Amino acid sequence: MVLILLVAIWQLSCWLFEIPKWLLPAPSEIWLEGITGWGNYRSHLVSTVKLSFMGLLIGSGVGIIIAVTLHSLPKLREAFYPIIILTQNIPIIVLAPLLVIWFGFGMLPKIIVITLVCFFPITVAALDGFRHTTAELTHYMKMAGASKKQIFWKVEWPYALPSLFSGLKIAATYSVMGAVISEWLGAKEGIGVFMTLASSSFRTDRVFVAIFLIMILSLIFFALISSLEKIIVKWKPKGEGKN
Amino acid sequence: MENITKSFEGNKVLEELSFHVNEGEFVTIVGPSGSGKSTLFHLIGGLYTPDSGDIRMDGERMNGQRGAISYTPQSPSLLPWRTVLDNILLSGEINGEKYELEALRMIERAGLKGYEQAYPSELSGGMQQRVSFIRSLMSPQSLICLDEPFSSLDEFTRMEMQNWLLSIWEENKRSILMVTHHIEEALYLSDRIIVLSGKPAKIKKEFSIPFPRPRQESIILSDEFLQWKRNIYNELRGT
Ligand SMILES: Nc1ncnc2c1ncn2[C@@H]1O[C@H](COP(=O)(O)OP(=O)(O)O)[C@@H](O)[C@H]1O
Ligand SMILES: [Mg+2]
Repeated sequence: MVLILLVAIWQLSCWLFEIPKWLLPAPSEIWLEGITGWGNYRSHLVSTVKLSFMGLLIGSGVGIIIAVTLHSLPKLREAFYPIIILTQNIPIIVLAPLLVIWFGFGMLPKIIVITLVCFFPITVAALDGFRHTTAELTHYMKMAGASKKQIFWKVEWPYALPSLFSGLKIAATYSVMGAVISEWLGAKEGIGVFMTLASSSFRTDRVFVAIFLIMILSLIFFALISSLEKIIVKWKPKGEGKN
Repeated sequence: MENITKSFEGNKVLEELSFHVNEGEFVTIVGPSGSGKSTLFHLIGGLYTPDSGDIRMDGERMNGQRGAISYTPQSPSLLPWRTVLDNILLSGEINGEKYELEALRMIERAGLKGYEQAYPSELSGGMQQRVSFIRSLMSPQSLICLDEPFSSLDEFTRMEMQNWLLSIWEENKRSILMVTHHIEEALYLSDRIIVLSGKPAKIKKEFSIPFPRPRQESIILSDEFLQWKRNIYNELRGT
Protein backbone atom coordinates (compact mmCIF):
# COMPACT_ATOMS: atom_id res chain seq x y z
CA MET A 1 0.00 0.00 0.00
CA VAL A 2 2.65 2.45 1.12
CA LEU A 3 4.62 1.47 -1.94
CA ILE A 4 1.73 2.26 -4.29
CA LEU A 5 1.21 5.59 -2.59
CA LEU A 6 4.87 6.49 -2.92
CA VAL A 7 4.92 5.60 -6.61
CA ALA A 8 1.78 7.67 -7.14
CA ILE A 9 3.31 10.72 -5.42
CA TRP A 10 6.45 10.28 -7.48
CA GLN A 11 4.47 10.08 -10.71
CA LEU A 12 2.37 13.11 -9.85
CA SER A 13 5.32 15.28 -8.88
CA CYS A 14 7.08 14.43 -12.12
CA TRP A 15 4.05 15.67 -14.03
CA LEU A 16 3.30 18.71 -11.93
CA PHE A 17 6.83 20.07 -11.74
CA GLU A 18 7.81 18.90 -15.22
CA ILE A 19 11.03 17.36 -14.01
CA PRO A 20 13.31 16.58 -16.96
CA LYS A 21 13.67 12.93 -17.75
CA TRP A 22 17.46 12.83 -17.27
CA LEU A 23 17.07 14.19 -13.73
CA LEU A 24 14.27 12.04 -12.43
CA PRO A 25 12.17 9.94 -14.79
CA ALA A 26 8.58 9.21 -13.86
CA PRO A 27 7.69 5.63 -12.87
CA SER A 28 5.68 5.26 -16.05
CA GLU A 29 8.73 6.10 -18.16
CA ILE A 30 10.86 3.66 -16.20
CA TRP A 31 8.24 0.99 -16.67
CA LEU A 32 8.11 1.65 -20.38
CA GLU A 33 11.89 1.50 -20.70
CA GLY A 34 11.88 -1.70 -18.66
CA ILE A 35 9.43 -3.35 -21.06
CA THR A 36 10.85 -2.16 -24.35
CA GLY A 37 14.47 -2.65 -23.37
CA TRP A 38 13.95 -6.13 -21.94
CA GLY A 39 15.98 -7.71 -24.74
CA ASN A 40 18.99 -5.61 -23.69
CA TYR A 41 18.74 -6.43 -20.03
CA ARG A 42 18.21 -10.10 -20.23
CA SER A 43 21.77 -11.21 -20.72
CA HIS A 44 22.96 -8.69 -18.10
CA LEU A 45 20.42 -10.03 -15.66
CA VAL A 46 21.34 -13.64 -16.27
CA SER A 47 25.00 -12.89 -15.74
CA THR A 48 24.32 -11.03 -12.48
CA VAL A 49 22.04 -13.78 -11.20
CA LYS A 50 24.73 -16.35 -11.90
CA LEU A 51 27.39 -14.27 -10.22
CA SER A 52 25.29 -13.51 -7.11
CA PHE A 53 24.21 -17.08 -6.79
CA MET A 54 27.71 -18.44 -6.99
CA GLY A 55 28.94 -15.77 -4.63
CA LEU A 56 26.18 -16.51 -2.17
CA LEU A 57 26.90 -20.23 -2.32
CA ILE A 58 30.62 -19.77 -1.76
CA GLY A 59 30.07 -16.99 0.78
CA SER A 60 27.66 -19.14 2.79
CA GLY A 61 30.03 -22.07 2.64
CA VAL A 62 32.90 -19.95 3.89
CA GLY A 63 30.67 -18.35 6.53
CA ILE A 64 29.51 -21.69 7.88
CA ILE A 65 32.99 -23.19 7.85
CA ILE A 66 34.37 -20.20 9.75
CA ALA A 67 31.53 -20.41 12.28
CA VAL A 68 31.97 -24.13 12.87
CA THR A 69 35.74 -23.82 13.18
CA LEU A 70 35.58 -20.92 15.60
CA HIS A 71 32.87 -22.65 17.59
CA SER A 72 34.78 -25.88 18.04
CA LEU A 73 38.00 -24.07 18.93
CA PRO A 74 37.04 -21.45 21.54
CA LYS A 75 40.62 -20.15 21.73
CA LEU A 76 40.64 -19.35 18.02
CA ARG A 77 37.26 -17.77 18.43
CA GLU A 78 38.52 -15.21 20.90
CA ALA A 79 41.46 -14.38 18.67
CA PHE A 80 39.61 -14.17 15.38
CA TYR A 81 36.23 -12.71 16.23
CA PRO A 82 37.56 -9.12 16.29
CA ILE A 83 39.35 -9.70 13.00
CA ILE A 84 36.13 -10.88 11.43
CA ILE A 85 34.40 -7.73 12.57
CA LEU A 86 37.26 -5.66 11.16
CA THR A 87 36.80 -7.23 7.72
CA GLN A 88 33.43 -5.53 7.64
CA ASN A 89 34.94 -2.13 8.25
CA ILE A 90 36.92 -2.11 5.03
CA PRO A 91 34.86 -0.21 2.46
CA ILE A 92 34.26 -2.65 -0.36
CA ILE A 93 34.44 0.18 -2.92
CA VAL A 94 38.05 0.78 -1.91
CA LEU A 95 38.96 -2.86 -1.63
CA ALA A 96 37.44 -3.93 -4.91
CA PRO A 97 39.93 -2.15 -7.26
CA LEU A 98 42.75 -3.54 -5.17
CA LEU A 99 41.41 -7.03 -5.66
CA VAL A 100 41.39 -6.44 -9.39
CA ILE A 101 45.02 -5.37 -9.24
CA TRP A 102 45.89 -8.51 -7.31
CA PHE A 103 43.73 -11.06 -9.07
CA GLY A 104 42.98 -9.62 -12.49
CA PHE A 105 39.59 -9.17 -14.12
CA GLY A 106 38.38 -12.75 -13.89
CA MET A 107 35.78 -14.31 -11.65
CA LEU A 108 38.04 -14.56 -8.62
CA PRO A 109 38.02 -10.93 -7.42
CA LYS A 110 34.26 -10.75 -7.92
CA ILE A 111 33.64 -13.87 -5.91
CA ILE A 112 35.93 -12.56 -3.20
CA VAL A 113 33.94 -9.33 -2.97
CA ILE A 114 30.63 -11.17 -2.66
CA THR A 115 32.06 -13.64 -0.20
CA LEU A 116 33.35 -10.78 1.93
CA VAL A 117 29.93 -9.19 2.22
CA CYS A 118 28.04 -12.48 2.54
CA PHE A 119 29.98 -14.50 5.04
CA PHE A 120 29.73 -12.07 7.92
CA PRO A 121 25.99 -12.21 8.70
CA ILE A 122 26.12 -15.99 8.35
CA THR A 123 29.11 -16.46 10.62
CA VAL A 124 27.71 -14.18 13.30
CA ALA A 125 24.24 -15.74 13.17
CA ALA A 126 25.55 -19.31 13.24
CA LEU A 127 27.99 -18.62 16.08
CA ASP A 128 25.20 -17.04 18.09
CA GLY A 129 22.97 -20.01 17.43
CA PHE A 130 25.64 -22.50 18.49
CA ARG A 131 26.45 -20.58 21.62
CA HIS A 132 22.90 -20.05 22.81
CA THR A 133 21.95 -23.69 22.65
CA THR A 134 19.94 -24.37 25.77
CA ALA A 135 22.24 -25.57 28.53
CA GLU A 136 19.83 -28.25 29.70
CA LEU A 137 19.97 -29.93 26.32
CA THR A 138 23.76 -29.99 26.21
CA HIS A 139 23.85 -31.11 29.87
CA TYR A 140 21.59 -33.99 29.04
CA MET A 141 23.68 -34.98 26.06
CA LYS A 142 26.90 -34.83 28.05
CA MET A 143 25.52 -36.93 30.87
CA ALA A 144 24.21 -39.44 28.38
CA GLY A 145 27.79 -39.83 27.24
CA ALA A 146 27.55 -38.04 23.91
CA SER A 147 30.78 -37.07 22.22
CA LYS A 148 31.53 -33.50 21.18
CA LYS A 149 30.73 -34.41 17.63
CA GLN A 150 27.40 -35.92 18.60
CA ILE A 151 26.50 -32.88 20.66
CA PHE A 152 27.34 -30.65 17.73
CA TRP A 153 25.37 -32.54 15.09
CA LYS A 154 22.45 -33.62 17.22
CA VAL A 155 21.95 -30.49 19.30
CA GLU A 156 23.96 -27.41 18.42
CA TRP A 157 23.64 -27.58 14.66
CA PRO A 158 19.86 -28.08 14.54
CA TYR A 159 19.45 -25.54 17.31
CA ALA A 160 21.38 -22.95 15.29
CA LEU A 161 19.50 -23.59 12.05
CA PRO A 162 16.77 -20.95 12.48
CA SER A 163 19.39 -18.40 13.42
CA LEU A 164 21.58 -19.53 10.54
CA PHE A 165 18.69 -18.94 8.17
CA SER A 166 18.26 -15.39 9.44
CA GLY A 167 21.89 -14.85 8.54
CA LEU A 168 21.37 -16.46 5.16
CA LYS A 169 18.47 -14.16 4.36
CA ILE A 170 20.58 -11.09 5.05
CA ALA A 171 23.46 -12.58 3.08
CA ALA A 172 21.16 -13.36 0.15
CA THR A 173 20.20 -9.72 -0.23
CA TYR A 174 23.79 -8.60 0.25
CA SER A 175 24.99 -11.00 -2.41
CA VAL A 176 23.10 -9.16 -5.16
CA MET A 177 24.56 -5.86 -3.98
CA GLY A 178 28.00 -7.43 -3.83
CA ALA A 179 27.64 -8.78 -7.34
CA VAL A 180 26.68 -5.37 -8.71
CA ILE A 181 29.57 -3.65 -6.96
CA SER A 182 31.99 -6.24 -8.26
CA GLU A 183 30.66 -5.70 -11.77
CA TRP A 184 31.46 -2.02 -11.56
CA LEU A 185 35.10 -2.98 -11.39
CA GLY A 186 35.09 -4.24 -14.86
CA ALA A 187 33.05 -6.96 -16.38
CA LYS A 188 31.69 -7.62 -19.81
CA GLU A 189 28.16 -8.15 -18.65
CA GLY A 190 25.92 -7.66 -15.68
CA ILE A 191 23.50 -5.18 -14.16
CA GLY A 192 26.46 -3.35 -12.64
CA VAL A 193 27.97 -2.82 -16.08
CA PHE A 194 24.64 -1.81 -17.51
CA MET A 195 24.19 0.68 -14.68
CA THR A 196 27.58 2.33 -15.26
CA LEU A 197 26.90 2.62 -18.97
CA ALA A 198 23.44 4.08 -18.38
CA SER A 199 24.55 6.66 -15.86
CA SER A 200 27.54 7.81 -17.95
CA SER A 201 25.18 8.42 -20.89
CA PHE A 202 22.61 10.19 -18.65
CA ARG A 203 20.00 7.52 -19.27
CA THR A 204 18.55 7.98 -15.83
CA ASP A 205 15.53 5.89 -16.71
CA ARG A 206 17.83 2.94 -17.36
CA VAL A 207 19.63 3.49 -14.09
CA PHE A 208 16.30 3.21 -12.37
CA VAL A 209 15.42 0.08 -14.28
CA ALA A 210 18.69 -1.37 -13.04
CA ILE A 211 17.91 -0.33 -9.47
CA PHE A 212 14.52 -1.98 -9.62
CA LEU A 213 15.98 -5.11 -11.14
CA ILE A 214 18.44 -5.29 -8.24
CA MET A 215 15.63 -4.87 -5.75
CA ILE A 216 13.48 -7.52 -7.37
CA LEU A 217 16.41 -9.87 -7.55
CA SER A 218 17.14 -9.37 -3.84
CA LEU A 219 13.52 -10.07 -3.00
CA ILE A 220 13.54 -13.25 -5.04
CA PHE A 221 16.71 -14.46 -3.35
CA PHE A 222 15.18 -13.65 0.02
CA ALA A 223 12.01 -15.54 -0.83
CA LEU A 224 14.00 -18.54 -2.02
CA ILE A 225 15.88 -18.76 1.26
CA SER A 226 12.64 -18.33 3.19
CA SER A 227 10.99 -21.22 1.41
CA LEU A 228 14.10 -23.32 1.88
CA GLU A 229 13.85 -22.56 5.59
CA LYS A 230 10.23 -23.65 5.68
CA ILE A 231 11.19 -26.96 4.12
CA ILE A 232 14.14 -27.63 6.43
CA VAL A 233 13.04 -26.18 9.76
CA LYS A 234 9.73 -27.92 10.30
CA TRP A 235 9.53 -27.63 14.05
CA LYS A 236 8.40 -24.43 15.69
CA PRO A 237 11.40 -22.63 17.12
CA LYS A 238 10.86 -21.01 20.51
CA GLY A 239 7.61 -22.93 20.85
CA GLU A 240 5.67 -22.24 24.00
CA GLY A 241 5.54 -25.97 24.77
CA LYS A 242 8.62 -25.81 26.95
CA ASN A 243 8.18 -24.06 30.23
CA MET B 1 29.26 -42.65 46.72
CA GLU B 2 32.02 -42.17 49.23
CA ASN B 3 32.60 -38.92 51.07
CA ILE B 4 31.57 -36.73 48.19
CA THR B 5 32.25 -33.03 48.60
CA LYS B 6 31.58 -30.38 45.98
CA SER B 7 31.83 -26.59 46.05
CA PHE B 8 31.05 -23.92 43.47
CA GLU B 9 33.22 -20.82 43.76
CA GLY B 10 33.91 -21.44 47.42
CA ASN B 11 30.26 -22.23 48.10
CA LYS B 12 30.09 -25.67 49.61
CA VAL B 13 27.06 -27.44 48.16
CA LEU B 14 27.64 -31.08 49.09
CA GLU B 15 29.59 -32.19 52.15
CA GLU B 16 30.89 -35.68 52.83
CA LEU B 17 28.01 -37.53 51.26
CA SER B 18 28.20 -41.33 51.39
CA PHE B 19 25.52 -43.74 50.31
CA HIS B 20 24.91 -46.62 47.96
CA VAL B 21 22.21 -48.11 45.79
CA ASN B 22 21.90 -51.90 45.62
CA GLU B 23 21.05 -53.72 42.46
CA GLY B 24 17.35 -53.54 41.71
CA GLU B 25 16.76 -51.14 44.56
CA PHE B 26 14.68 -47.96 44.48
CA VAL B 27 16.38 -45.30 46.56
CA THR B 28 15.10 -41.76 46.98
CA ILE B 29 16.93 -38.72 48.23
CA VAL B 30 14.76 -36.10 49.88
CA GLY B 31 16.04 -32.63 50.51
CA PRO B 32 14.95 -29.01 50.44
CA SER B 33 15.11 -27.08 47.17
CA GLY B 34 18.53 -25.73 46.39
CA SER B 35 20.20 -28.25 48.67
CA GLY B 36 22.27 -29.65 45.82
CA LYS B 37 20.23 -32.61 44.66
CA SER B 38 20.62 -31.86 40.99
CA THR B 39 24.28 -31.18 41.56
CA LEU B 40 24.59 -34.66 43.01
CA PHE B 41 23.26 -36.12 39.77
CA HIS B 42 25.54 -33.93 37.72
CA LEU B 43 28.41 -35.47 39.67
CA ILE B 44 27.20 -39.02 39.18
CA GLY B 45 26.62 -38.30 35.51
CA GLY B 46 30.17 -37.00 35.13
CA LEU B 47 29.22 -33.46 34.17
CA TYR B 48 31.38 -32.24 37.04
CA THR B 49 33.97 -34.03 39.13
CA PRO B 50 33.75 -34.02 42.93
CA ASP B 51 36.31 -31.96 44.86
CA SER B 52 36.97 -34.99 46.99
CA GLY B 53 35.56 -38.46 47.41
CA ASP B 54 34.86 -41.29 45.01
CA ILE B 55 31.90 -42.40 42.96
CA ARG B 56 31.97 -46.12 42.31
CA MET B 57 29.85 -48.35 40.18
CA ASP B 58 30.24 -52.11 40.49
CA GLY B 59 33.42 -51.36 42.40
CA GLU B 60 34.92 -49.24 39.65
CA ARG B 61 35.79 -45.61 40.19
CA MET B 62 33.85 -43.40 37.80
CA ASN B 63 34.49 -39.80 38.84
CA GLY B 64 33.84 -37.55 35.87
CA GLN B 65 32.97 -40.47 33.63
CA ARG B 66 30.03 -39.77 31.36
CA GLY B 67 27.42 -42.03 29.92
CA ALA B 68 27.48 -44.51 32.80
CA ILE B 69 23.97 -43.81 34.02
CA SER B 70 20.64 -43.27 32.40
CA TYR B 71 19.31 -39.91 33.42
CA THR B 72 15.97 -38.13 33.42
CA PRO B 73 16.61 -34.44 34.00
CA GLN B 74 14.45 -32.15 36.06
CA SER B 75 12.99 -30.57 32.93
CA PRO B 76 12.09 -32.90 30.06
CA SER B 77 14.99 -31.61 27.88
CA LEU B 78 13.58 -33.00 24.67
CA LEU B 79 15.02 -31.85 21.37
CA PRO B 80 12.27 -29.64 19.92
CA TRP B 81 13.08 -30.55 16.31
CA ARG B 82 12.74 -34.26 16.88
CA THR B 83 9.51 -36.18 17.01
CA VAL B 84 8.57 -38.15 20.12
CA LEU B 85 9.91 -41.35 18.59
CA ASP B 86 13.18 -39.77 17.46
CA ASN B 87 13.68 -38.22 20.87
CA ILE B 88 13.31 -41.60 22.50
CA LEU B 89 15.75 -43.15 20.06
CA LEU B 90 18.30 -40.47 20.92
CA SER B 91 19.78 -42.26 23.91
CA GLY B 92 20.30 -45.31 21.74
CA GLU B 93 21.90 -43.29 18.97
CA ILE B 94 24.47 -41.96 21.41
CA ASN B 95 25.40 -45.50 22.33
CA GLY B 96 25.17 -46.71 18.77
CA GLU B 97 22.07 -48.83 19.23
CA LYS B 98 18.68 -48.96 17.62
CA TYR B 99 15.49 -50.29 19.14
CA GLU B 100 12.60 -48.84 17.27
CA LEU B 101 10.13 -51.67 17.92
CA GLU B 102 10.85 -51.66 21.61
CA ALA B 103 10.44 -47.88 21.65
CA LEU B 104 7.08 -48.07 19.91
CA ARG B 105 5.94 -50.63 22.45
CA MET B 106 6.98 -48.37 25.33
CA ILE B 107 5.24 -45.37 23.77
CA GLU B 108 2.08 -47.40 23.66
CA ARG B 109 2.48 -48.49 27.28
CA ALA B 110 2.92 -44.88 28.31
CA GLY B 111 -0.40 -44.03 26.72
CA LEU B 112 1.21 -41.96 24.00
CA LYS B 113 0.09 -44.04 21.05
CA GLY B 114 -0.65 -41.81 18.09
CA TYR B 115 1.89 -39.24 19.22
CA GLU B 116 4.97 -41.00 17.83
CA GLN B 117 5.41 -38.39 15.12
CA ALA B 118 4.34 -35.38 17.18
CA TYR B 119 6.84 -32.69 18.16
CA PRO B 120 7.43 -31.98 21.85
CA SER B 121 5.83 -28.53 21.58
CA GLU B 122 2.56 -30.26 20.75
CA LEU B 123 2.54 -32.23 24.00
CA SER B 124 1.46 -31.29 27.52
CA GLY B 125 4.06 -31.06 30.28
CA GLY B 126 3.11 -34.48 31.63
CA MET B 127 3.41 -36.10 28.24
CA GLN B 128 6.80 -34.51 27.65
CA GLN B 129 7.95 -35.82 30.99
CA ARG B 130 6.76 -39.29 30.05
CA VAL B 131 8.72 -39.13 26.80
CA SER B 132 11.79 -38.07 28.72
CA PHE B 133 11.20 -41.04 31.04
CA ILE B 134 10.91 -43.54 28.24
CA ARG B 135 14.08 -42.11 26.75
CA SER B 136 16.03 -42.94 29.88
CA LEU B 137 14.28 -46.26 30.45
CA MET B 138 15.28 -47.29 26.96
CA SER B 139 18.95 -46.60 27.41
CA PRO B 140 20.96 -49.62 28.44
CA GLN B 141 22.67 -48.46 31.66
CA SER B 142 21.79 -50.34 34.83
CA LEU B 143 21.27 -47.32 37.08
CA ILE B 144 18.48 -44.86 36.33
CA CYS B 145 18.67 -41.41 37.90
CA LEU B 146 15.47 -39.40 38.14
CA ASP B 147 15.67 -35.73 39.06
CA GLU B 148 12.32 -34.59 40.50
CA PRO B 149 10.54 -36.34 37.67
CA PHE B 150 7.03 -35.45 38.82
CA SER B 151 7.55 -31.96 40.17
CA SER B 152 5.96 -30.21 37.22
CA LEU B 153 2.82 -32.33 37.25
CA ASP B 154 -0.52 -31.80 38.95
CA GLU B 155 -1.49 -34.14 41.77
CA PHE B 156 -3.66 -36.38 39.64
CA THR B 157 -1.24 -36.90 36.78
CA ARG B 158 1.50 -37.36 39.34
CA MET B 159 -0.22 -40.38 40.90
CA GLU B 160 -0.91 -41.85 37.50
CA MET B 161 2.71 -41.43 36.46
CA GLN B 162 3.98 -42.89 39.70
CA ASN B 163 1.90 -46.01 39.20
CA TRP B 164 3.09 -46.23 35.64
CA LEU B 165 6.71 -45.94 36.74
CA LEU B 166 6.21 -48.59 39.42
CA SER B 167 4.62 -51.02 37.00
CA ILE B 168 7.47 -50.67 34.56
CA TRP B 169 10.09 -50.88 37.26
CA GLU B 170 8.56 -53.99 38.80
CA GLU B 171 8.68 -55.66 35.41
CA ASN B 172 12.44 -55.43 34.97
CA LYS B 173 13.92 -54.31 38.24
CA ARG B 174 16.66 -51.88 37.42
CA SER B 175 18.26 -49.76 40.10
CA ILE B 176 16.69 -46.35 40.48
CA LEU B 177 18.04 -43.34 42.32
CA MET B 178 15.46 -40.60 42.54
CA VAL B 179 15.58 -37.12 43.97
CA THR B 180 12.55 -35.23 45.18
CA HIS B 181 11.29 -32.78 47.76
CA HIS B 182 7.93 -34.51 47.90
CA ILE B 183 7.78 -36.81 50.93
CA GLU B 184 4.68 -38.82 49.99
CA GLU B 185 6.10 -39.54 46.60
CA ALA B 186 9.31 -40.83 48.14
CA LEU B 187 7.39 -43.01 50.59
CA TYR B 188 5.10 -44.44 47.99
CA LEU B 189 7.83 -45.39 45.56
CA SER B 190 11.01 -46.24 47.40
CA ASP B 191 12.72 -49.04 49.26
CA ARG B 192 14.97 -46.61 51.05
CA ILE B 193 14.85 -42.87 51.69
CA ILE B 194 17.87 -40.70 52.38
CA VAL B 195 17.18 -37.33 54.00
CA LEU B 196 19.51 -34.46 53.16
CA SER B 197 20.02 -31.27 55.11
CA GLY B 198 20.18 -27.87 53.40
CA LYS B 199 23.36 -25.94 52.60
CA PRO B 200 25.75 -27.64 52.54
CA ALA B 201 23.92 -30.90 51.97
CA LYS B 202 24.80 -33.66 54.42
CA ILE B 203 23.05 -36.95 55.04
CA LYS B 204 20.83 -36.56 58.05
CA LYS B 205 19.19 -39.90 58.21
CA GLU B 206 18.34 -42.98 56.25
CA PHE B 207 15.03 -44.84 56.40
CA SER B 208 14.14 -48.28 55.10
CA ILE B 209 10.54 -48.34 53.96
CA PRO B 210 8.79 -51.62 54.80
CA PHE B 211 5.65 -51.36 52.67
CA PRO B 212 5.20 -54.53 50.62
CA ARG B 213 5.53 -54.64 46.86
CA PRO B 214 3.74 -54.29 44.58
CA ARG B 215 2.60 -51.12 46.27
CA GLN B 216 -1.11 -50.52 46.63
CA GLU B 217 -2.37 -47.01 46.11
CA SER B 218 -4.46 -47.34 49.28
CA ILE B 219 -1.40 -47.32 51.53
CA ILE B 220 -0.98 -43.59 51.15
CA LEU B 221 -4.04 -43.11 53.33
CA SER B 222 -3.01 -45.60 56.01
CA ASP B 223 -1.99 -44.52 59.52
CA GLU B 224 1.38 -46.17 59.11
CA PHE B 225 2.05 -44.10 55.99
CA LEU B 226 1.13 -40.90 57.79
CA GLN B 227 3.38 -41.87 60.69
CA TRP B 228 6.29 -42.31 58.29
CA LYS B 229 5.48 -39.03 56.65
CA ARG B 230 5.58 -37.31 60.04
CA ASN B 231 8.95 -38.88 60.86
CA ILE B 232 10.55 -37.80 57.65
CA TYR B 233 8.97 -34.38 57.78
CA ASN B 234 10.37 -33.81 61.26
CA GLU B 235 13.74 -35.03 60.13
CA LEU B 236 13.72 -32.56 57.24
CA ARG B 237 12.65 -29.73 59.48
CA GLY B 238 15.39 -30.63 61.90
CA THR B 239 13.27 -31.13 64.97
N1 LIG C 1 27.26 -24.90 37.78
C1 LIG C 1 27.06 -24.26 38.94
N2 LIG C 1 27.81 -23.17 39.25
C2 LIG C 1 27.62 -22.52 40.42
N3 LIG C 1 26.72 -22.86 41.34
C3 LIG C 1 25.93 -23.92 41.11
C4 LIG C 1 26.05 -24.67 39.89
N4 LIG C 1 25.14 -25.68 39.91
C5 LIG C 1 24.49 -25.55 41.08
N5 LIG C 1 24.96 -24.51 41.82
C6 LIG C 1 24.49 -24.11 43.14
O1 LIG C 1 24.35 -25.27 43.92
C7 LIG C 1 23.22 -25.19 44.74
C8 LIG C 1 22.37 -26.42 44.60
O2 LIG C 1 21.77 -26.45 43.34
P1 LIG C 1 20.93 -27.70 42.85
O3 LIG C 1 21.81 -28.90 42.88
O4 LIG C 1 20.32 -27.35 41.56
O5 LIG C 1 19.80 -27.81 43.96
P2 LIG C 1 18.46 -28.71 43.97
O6 LIG C 1 18.47 -29.56 42.79
O7 LIG C 1 18.54 -29.48 45.25
O8 LIG C 1 17.31 -27.76 44.01
C9 LIG C 1 22.48 -23.91 44.37
O9 LIG C 1 22.69 -22.96 45.39
C10 LIG C 1 23.11 -23.48 43.08
O10 LIG C 1 23.20 -22.09 43.04
MG1 LIG D 1 17.21 -29.60 41.23
